[in-house]
Amino acid sequence: MRDFSSRPRARRLEPREWAWLAVGALAVLLSAGTAWDAWRDNRAAVVRVATVRAERDAAGARLRALESQVRRDSMGNQAWLTLEAPPPRVVADLAELLPPEVRLEQLSLKYGTRLEVEMTVSARDAAAYDLFLERLGASPRFGEVSPGEENRAGEVKAQVRAAYREEDAR
Amino acid sequence: MRTLRTRALVAFDRTGVAGALVSQGLGARRLRAFAQAPLPAGALSPSPFEANLADPTAVRAALSQVRDALAPGATGACLLLPAGVARIVLMEVPSGTEAEGYARFRLASSLPYSAAEAVVDLMPVGPGRVVAAAVRRSVVQEYERAAEAAGWRQSRLDLAPLAALTGLLRESTGAARTVDVILGDAAVTLSAHAEGQLRAYRTRWRDAGPGEAAWLAAEAHRTADLAGEGTAPRLRVVGPGASGFVQAWTAAGLSASPGWMLEGHGLPVAAAELSCLGGMVG
Repeated sequence: MRDFSSRPRARRLEPREWAWLAVGALAVLLSAGTAWDAWRDNRAAVVRVATVRAERDAAGARLRALESQVRRDSMGNQAWLTLEAPPPRVVADLAELLPPEVRLEQLSLKYGTRLEVEMTVSARDAAAYDLFLERLGASPRFGEVSPGEENRAGEVKAQVRAAYREEDAR
Repeated sequence: MRTLRTRALVAFDRTGVAGALVSQGLGARRLRAFAQAPLPAGALSPSPFEANLADPTAVRAALSQVRDALAPGATGACLLLPAGVARIVLMEVPSGTEAEGYARFRLASSLPYSAAEAVVDLMPVGPGRVVAAAVRRSVVQEYERAAEAAGWRQSRLDLAPLAALTGLLRESTGAARTVDVILGDAAVTLSAHAEGQLRAYRTRWRDAGPGEAAWLAAEAHRTADLAGEGTAPRLRVVGPGASGFVQAWTAAGLSASPGWMLEGHGLPVAAAELSCLGGMVG
């Protein structure tokens, strides 16, 4: 609007300056829109992170509960196994399977969710050792027979692993 | 009709001060109130470089009288300075040039005072064309001080001929050539336009007397010729004495009409007699 007042006037903008002003205003609007979108995305991400954390915490809690349960079960199982399969019985069962030419030199019992038997045996010859392995594999008391290192030069000395069958034991 | 905005116009001239309250409705502008107060002879003499208010007290009293009659409250007023106080030129502005700076440069050489003392502003009248005006700052300040002393709150300050021209240019006559005759008490402005474009703008001191109508008609035709050759121009007249000129020129066979008319009543004179009403639309 035309004004011949003597007071100082703000400089009138040229059309080109108005255009730049419009471009600037548009850029500000676009930036504001983008910032709003980013803020909204950030909010959504924060909510998602919180949800995932809550799920993780819940899963952790469930895991801890299950581990505790498993530990309790394991300890119970071990106690039960110790009760149902005491070392003398295991040794007795094993002794029944030993051929005369084979002797038990070392025996280790590991009570866990199952009873693992690890033994070192000496046999006069390979045939006696093979017979022992055959009897062990056929026994309903033992399973998962796994022959370990063995020395067949003359007298056979070998390590054997097996699992005491708790189903059968029960 | 609901009022959106009310503004006040305060016009000065040699014979008096006039004021109007104008409201902008949803459909049209309305003249809500009008008041005028006479000035003693010699109290105000429009001049581009000398002091205009010989009797500031009388001018202030007239302004107060108008203000009391209008009761504008806190409404800001547009002060309209009379014809004859400004150097006004129609010019073309080269493309890519800052218009106000160019106008100041062009007007500087023709001012009877330093360009630094000039308040310059523009009225765009088409692509690359402006009517540029320069008023001496000390002259502007005289009017501003008087209005402020009378309690008016100034919103802006315009020149009565430019305000009137703005109003007239909004209405096309449909004629090939039109000359708008904008009368002031001391000076007269003639602007010619053709094909919707302002082609010439001139200001002359008035020579009141029995031969003024003939002299002014001749000046109008000369102005029309500046806009280009053609048929007899259509004359539109506003300002003090407009009705008399229209009557005289019509009787002489010229095509003349008042520059504007007001629907309804409420004015002490014909609306065309008041050039300041151009400020209603300007």
